[in-house]
Amino acid sequence: MKRAIGCLATLLAMSGVAHAQNTVTLGASVQETGALANTGRYYRDGYNFAIAKINESGGVKVGGKTYKLALKILDNQSDSNLSVRQYVQLLTQDKVNFLLGPFASDFALADSSVAEKYQVPMIQGGGASDQIFSRGYKYIFGTLPVASKYFGSTIAMMGKLNPAPKSVALLYADDAFDVSVAAGTRELIRKAGLKLTEDKRYSSNTSDFSTLISEVKSSNPDAILVSGHETEVLNFIRQAKSLNLSPKIYSFTVGVPTADFRKALGADANYAFGMTPWLPSPTNKDQYFGDAPAFVKAYTQKFGYEPDYHAASAVADVEAFAKAMQAAGTLDPKKVRDAISHVNFGSIYGTIAFDSAGQISLPQTVIQVQNGQVTPIYAQGIMISKPQYPMPLWGKR
Amino acid sequence: MTPKLKVALAVAVTCALASLPWLASATILQFSISTLLLATLAQGWNIIGGYTGYASFGNSVFFGLGSYGTAIAMVQWHLPFGVGLVFGAVLAVVFALVLGIPVLRLRGHYFAIATLALSQVMTAIVSNLEIAGRNTGLVLPLLNGDPLFYELSLALLVLATLTVFWIAHSRFGFGLIAIRENEDAAASMGINTTLYKVLAFAISGIFSALAGGIHAYWITFIDPVSAFDLSLNVKMIIMTVFGGPASILGPVVGAFVLSGISEILSSAISSVASLFFGAVIIVAVVFMPRGLADVLRRFRKTGWRYFSENVKKYRL
Repeated sequence: MKRAIGCLATLLAMSGVAHAQNTVTLGASVQETGALANTGRYYRDGYNFAIAKINESGGVKVGGKTYKLALKILDNQSDSNLSVRQYVQLLTQDKVNFLLGPFASDFALADSSVAEKYQVPMIQGGGASDQIFSRGYKYIFGTLPVASKYFGSTIAMMGKLNPAPKSVALLYADDAFDVSVAAGTRELIRKAGLKLTEDKRYSSNTSDFSTLISEVKSSNPDAILVSGHETEVLNFIRQAKSLNLSPKIYSFTVGVPTADFRKALGADANYAFGMTPWLPSPTNKDQYFGDAPAFVKAYTQKFGYEPDYHAASAVADVEAFAKAMQAAGTLDPKKVRDAISHVNFGSIYGTIAFDSAGQISLPQTVIQVQNGQVTPIYAQGIMISKPQYPMPLWGKR
Repeated sequence: MTPKLKVALAVAVTCALASLPWLASATILQFSISTLLLATLAQGWNIIGGYTGYASFGNSVFFGLGSYGTAIAMVQWHLPFGVGLVFGAVLAVVFALVLGIPVLRLRGHYFAIATLALSQVMTAIVSNLEIAGRNTGLVLPLLNGDPLFYELSLALLVLATLTVFWIAHSRFGFGLIAIRENEDAAASMGINTTLYKVLAFAISGIFSALAGGIHAYWITFIDPVSAFDLSLNVKMIIMTVFGGPASILGPVVGAFVLSGISEILSSAISSVASLFFGAVIIVAVVFMPRGLADVLRRFRKTGWRYFSENVKKYRL
């Protein structure tokens, strides 16, 4: 059956080429080289993979005609000025139909202005800053959870623990993203009625946390929330051990889901809480890929490395365009824009539906390293598995 | 060429450039705006780095101050863009006066090192200012008017170039050159070196700040890291040196040529573009260390030997 569909698709593709070029081109400028290339590749590969898969399944039906998707991708060399220029080029010179986003918030902030100026919708899966959606722009949509809500599910889960933590220390790096995380978290802590004992900012790339840890230790909070970068998180945990800082629970915005994290810390990685917007769970059904585990397998086979949430988010961006074009029945940018604001479908990444600001509501899944394994703990009001809580003292592990 | 002919040619070129928005595509216009701004920055650096001989790494601070001045005036105080530009330029002048007096007493490498630290310091300061949006930066209103940004950038570049022309032909400019060649001798000839240097630093700062203000409004978003980006300062230096430091049109030509090469490379051979760009700069420094302006001046006399002579003369 599959082969038959494949043949049919090939035939369709050939006839498409023979008759008329029924192609919808999506344009993107991503970091293929430069400082951010390591994460940029998820977007390049995610976009390409999703487009190949949609074309394999026969393309997209828009108003009675079948279209193939194509991708025009440019390398912005991790330079945001160049990426703005490339988006203008994509729209005016290459005449792409719609825009896919770059990686990172500052790029998305600058590039979405181009989409707004030319009134062509952009769906981006690489920027999580709240500022992207607070400007009243109509043509920008995003599939990453916004920074201010990163700790939302963690704090909700804390309310269901026994005994529930009463006091919290909040530590965060001083870059744009982590400052927004902290601003949102402060509000969440206040709403949950928790006591904020420490609210400390540290400079990015700090490797010495001893002073900070001593301060936190003296106020002795039940919970510690850290928003920072992976190396900082690793150093924090190592120094927490040597200074014997043992809260009931600690949670980190980054690092915990990765294999590197467990490799670097060994047994000390246990009990650490973290979060991920995406876990390849079989409940994430998808029209084109089947489900999330099937996607991970196919992706790893094709590109030689495992996808993470960036890649899944990129795939969701392409699928959102496919769905919106089908719903709109036209390629008119304004009508497709309205259709995007109404899409609601399941994908490997989760349910895709945008609110009036263009954001997706995708709660982070709380995870914990338990006996060297990343275990999903809590999502959308449901305790998935039992958290190991409270954390044992360092001496008693 | 007679002086009259030169003026006529300059006016003609400027008019031709001014008509670009009606002729070129939106992509070329984007590229042109950023090239014009880079040329203005290079021209600004030329005043302090080229004429006065002080290798400043602080010009990206002026650029950042201009960006933030404009952004703060527009976003926080809801003032018009023009007022924001002026506010940014005032910030730059104040900065040049306050910091120029102690920093410009340092010579050679020490001056470069001191200014190198300035942009780091400014990033840290701005990251803690509530009015500047702290670490998250500021989002400026969206203006759909690339032709306007283009004409503004062009006008600014013309103004900067005219200023450099005036400097090159004035007593003030000769004073700066004297400081570059031998500061002690200049002082003994009765030049108030501190005043001259601070003035040169401030004029250089005004143009960088104005370029920063236009850039901020055009790109609609600034944060501390991108506003005080040191690599921008490096670009100013490379473009000026490539074109010919202490010449009137050198930095402009340098900015145009290098931006063009970089743009062609990045669209033609995307992934290894920066490698080739680096190679172009190395070749340029080895074969024509005194810039394009010097090539034009001396190539006629010496011919192809010009390049081999340079290699011999400046070898390490």
